[in-house]
Amino acid sequence: MRGKEDKILADIDWALVGLYLLLVIMGISNIYSSVYDPMKPDLFDLSTEHGKQIMWVGIALFLGVIVMIIDGSLIRKLSFWVYGVLMLLLVAVLFTEPINGARSWFGWGSFGVQPSELAKLGACLALSAHLSNIPITKNKLAPSISISYLVQLVSSNWKTIAILGIPCVLVLLQPDAGTFIVFTSFILVLYREGYAGNILLFLLVAVIIAVITLIVADSSFIFLKIKMSGKFGIVLALLIMGLVFYLLIRQFVLKRNRPPLYRAMIGSLIVSILFVNFVEWGYSTFLDDHQKERIDLLLGKIEDPDGKGYNINRAKAAIGSGGFAGKGYQQATLANASQKHVPMQSTDFIFCTWSEERGFLGSAFLVILYSILLIKIVSVAERQRSRYTRIFAYCVAGIFFYHFMINVGMGIGLAPVIGIPLPLFSYGGSSVLTFSLLLFILIKLDSERKVVLQ
Amino acid sequence: MKNIDNRKYIIALIFILIPLIFVIRLFFMQVVDDKWKERAAQISENKVITYPARGIVYDRNKIKLISNEVYYDIRVIPNQMSEDMDSFAFAKLIDISIEDYERQMNKARDYSYRKSSEMVKQIPPDEFADIAPELYKYPGFYEVERTLRIYPNPIAAHVLGYMSEVDSTNIKADPYYKSGDLIGKSGIEKSYEKVLRGKKGVKYYLQDAIGVETDRYENGKYDTLAEQGSSITLTIDAELQKYGERLMQNKRGSVVVLEPSSGEILTMISSPTYDPNLLVGRRLGQNYGELMKDTTLPLQNRSANSTYPPGSTFKLLMALIALQEGVITEEASFPCTKSLVGCHNHPTARGVSDGVKMSCNPYFYYLTRKIIQQGKHKSHFVDAAEGLDIWAKYLKSFGLGVDLKTDFPAIRYGFVPNTNFYDNEFPSKSNPYGKYGWAYSTIYSNSIGQGEVLVSPLEMANIAAIMANRGHFYYPHFIKEIEGQDIPDIYTIKQKTMVEPENFEPVIDGMWRVVHEPGGTARRARVDSLNICGKTGTAENFKIINGKREQLVDHSIFIAFAPKDDPKIAVSVYIENSGFGGTWAAPIASLLIEKYLTGAIADTNKENRILEADLMPIKVVPKKK
Repeated sequence: MRGKEDKILADIDWALVGLYLLLVIMGISNIYSSVYDPMKPDLFDLSTEHGKQIMWVGIALFLGVIVMIIDGSLIRKLSFWVYGVLMLLLVAVLFTEPINGARSWFGWGSFGVQPSELAKLGACLALSAHLSNIPITKNKLAPSISISYLVQLVSSNWKTIAILGIPCVLVLLQPDAGTFIVFTSFILVLYREGYAGNILLFLLVAVIIAVITLIVADSSFIFLKIKMSGKFGIVLALLIMGLVFYLLIRQFVLKRNRPPLYRAMIGSLIVSILFVNFVEWGYSTFLDDHQKERIDLLLGKIEDPDGKGYNINRAKAAIGSGGFAGKGYQQATLANASQKHVPMQSTDFIFCTWSEERGFLGSAFLVILYSILLIKIVSVAERQRSRYTRIFAYCVAGIFFYHFMINVGMGIGLAPVIGIPLPLFSYGGSSVLTFSLLLFILIKLDSERKVVLQ
Repeated sequence: MKNIDNRKYIIALIFILIPLIFVIRLFFMQVVDDKWKERAAQISENKVITYPARGIVYDRNKIKLISNEVYYDIRVIPNQMSEDMDSFAFAKLIDISIEDYERQMNKARDYSYRKSSEMVKQIPPDEFADIAPELYKYPGFYEVERTLRIYPNPIAAHVLGYMSEVDSTNIKADPYYKSGDLIGKSGIEKSYEKVLRGKKGVKYYLQDAIGVETDRYENGKYDTLAEQGSSITLTIDAELQKYGERLMQNKRGSVVVLEPSSGEILTMISSPTYDPNLLVGRRLGQNYGELMKDTTLPLQNRSANSTYPPGSTFKLLMALIALQEGVITEEASFPCTKSLVGCHNHPTARGVSDGVKMSCNPYFYYLTRKIIQQGKHKSHFVDAAEGLDIWAKYLKSFGLGVDLKTDFPAIRYGFVPNTNFYDNEFPSKSNPYGKYGWAYSTIYSNSIGQGEVLVSPLEMANIAAIMANRGHFYYPHFIKEIEGQDIPDIYTIKQKTMVEPENFEPVIDGMWRVVHEPGGTARRARVDSLNICGKTGTAENFKIINGKREQLVDHSIFIAFAPKDDPKIAVSVYIENSGFGGTWAAPIASLLIEKYLTGAIADTNKENRILEADLMPIKVVPKKK
């Protein structure tokens, strides 16, 4: 027994632990600077955000120790239970009083917990447990464009869809679009596990079509002396592309090989046109005005630096003014608590304080640090014999990646403003707990890599 | 299987590519592009201008003419106002209409609820004394101090000028000015604007998102202090100016007094005048409007911006030119034939001195003809053209119709007609006489100071100074000292006329006799022992009234200097529409000279007569039937 304990401790990936501690410590020092109040200079003052953050990190470390002590197989066994409890919490939170228009908090005094953060953990566990039980061969389904294929796809994967779909619907009901978007990070996991091979390529094309649609949909142009809507222009362009492909196929492909290509072409043309309409319809129906504004701002369709674009303009100014070496610790003039030019500078826009005070050196260091963490998680994932652990590792990587990409991207104007925290960096108890537990569970599972077979 | 395993590389690639894109983007934003640094400065730093006090203006005896006083602006922060504020009572307290109050409030709210906006500005201290104890009842409103001009001696309004807010041309011309700044609009305030304005100070603050200052930027490293403008000393003699303005009350006209030995302007009066304190602070607009409407034109600076016919005072110059040109001798005599130009009854003038003393019109008609028609050409048209140009050149050397370099804005100089004018512009531009189309017979009115020639009172005072100096002058100027600066050299350079000093003696002799001898035209100007030398003038003038050209009562003119030897003072007095030069202008000039030279007035009857006279009404001369 004793020997096994030593073995597990020895197999802990200390580099991952080191990365975790480095990010958390940098995060706390940055929160201290971003919310610094001369009246409350005490780092551990629990009425300040840095004090609370330290408390949450403490709680997270305590839970981390528990995770290290318990057996990895227990985690696997409890996966669905944890998922179920968290889903119940997500339902329960819908009956609370809304804060800022969303029902997403359980509050006790000045402390609060966001179940939607922890729900990510639940989804990771459940998805890992579910996917690791499906034989890989079962995934081998020849992709084709037909209704029967779609039906087959849904019927054979309904559990996967449910595990991810339930929390998605529940967070949308809060509403919390940011967390919903993070749930789409599981696409990376599905991709790695062999589902829908061209899904990333497909997503890339979809994003490009969606962006073009949103840019030109409500404008109009003159073609052949007829005034046309932008949407019609896209459809026209797609049709012309289809025609070109048709001619190319006729020219270069053997006659017997043509029919499946024609089918694929016509299918994707129809899907594209439907998608264009769906994007436009979804944009105007589903999105709130402020969400449309954020997208329009990102796409440069509107410019209003002191009005609708206030947040992003101030965020960019804070980051950009950091220069090469930064203004120095606690020297931010935009992203700090006394000036307050950048809103939510300790949570959603925490990257601004960091970049303004540490300059390009600091911001590039942080970005590279996240990149290293992500690659590290991938390498951890790939050395697993256990599919459960590998899937879980990719879940963690995907969630970290999404949070990092959207949070930093939004500050530098490459992503729309979506209020989600920067992992281990932003102030917020639920988010620190969730990201810590994700990493701790991964470290625990990884430490058992040599004793677990499957 | 192998295929699917390779997908880890795609994922790893994404985890490297996206951060790489971010690093590149960060490099551009933080290192390459300065746009965001500028934007950040714009957002987070606030430049607060501190205004300097303006330079003090003294008279030649260091009496304060313009000083500064603290005025009060009332500002408002809309979101600090109390809900149940009595707007009517507040508007009444700060003495504005409820409509104005509402308008200002709306403007303030439109601008910002959290930042302060102006409610009323420039409340004089005496009015603010009534407001201050009540102001605490109206939260959200507070006062801001601001220095404005005050005129401890309410004199010389036209000389000192006034200040008002800069307009767009001022801002365009000089980036020093920002909207809302004050600038000298006229008078000394304008001509010495750059000396008086001082230097604005700048304080850089960090401001928070709602524009509230939080801290000094870089601990005030880049801040500068406001520097008060340099004080200046004028050549004006406040005592004399005040006395002159008293004498000029209820009269329309102008007085200019010079020190002949320096060209310093001791007094410049334009009457009617106004209290310069009227054009300060928030009452400026209203008071300015009222002064604008006044038909007696109190805002017009008659001394610097008006021109008049010189009348008989011009004869002095005719005599000097004739003597210098050698076309007459000082004994020259001409008969008083009243057929061409009218005259009063007097004995025949035997010599230049007599002619000046009796101001005989025919005498100067003939004398000037000798200047214009010198007989050098057979054609008297050609002769007249050449003569007139000689004549005009002389007059210009006397500073008529040329830039006198006086340190004063918008001075209007007189007009000396020359051949070009008569060839091309007379009697009208559309139908001129043309070259060699005129001779002395056309232009002779100029010989007695009527006709086309025009002079300003300042130029006439300069003529008096030239007479006193026997042929030279210094550019008339207002500046005596500038704190920490030298005054321009041009004011110390002697300007010579084309007439030699010896030719002045017979003319000055005549001027002395004008005042002192029986038969002189200005006996009222006599003050024993002061040896005042003068020359009267009476200028006909016309005005279109109800569509008819009516002749008004003549302008009364007198120029003088004293004492005859070692002159200390030169004066020109114009009293509009008051009649003969000796009646009103001469005694006023003599009182000023006496006051300046002796400090007191011996003949109080003379003084009282002037003080009591009301010459304001414009009288029309009844037409002879």
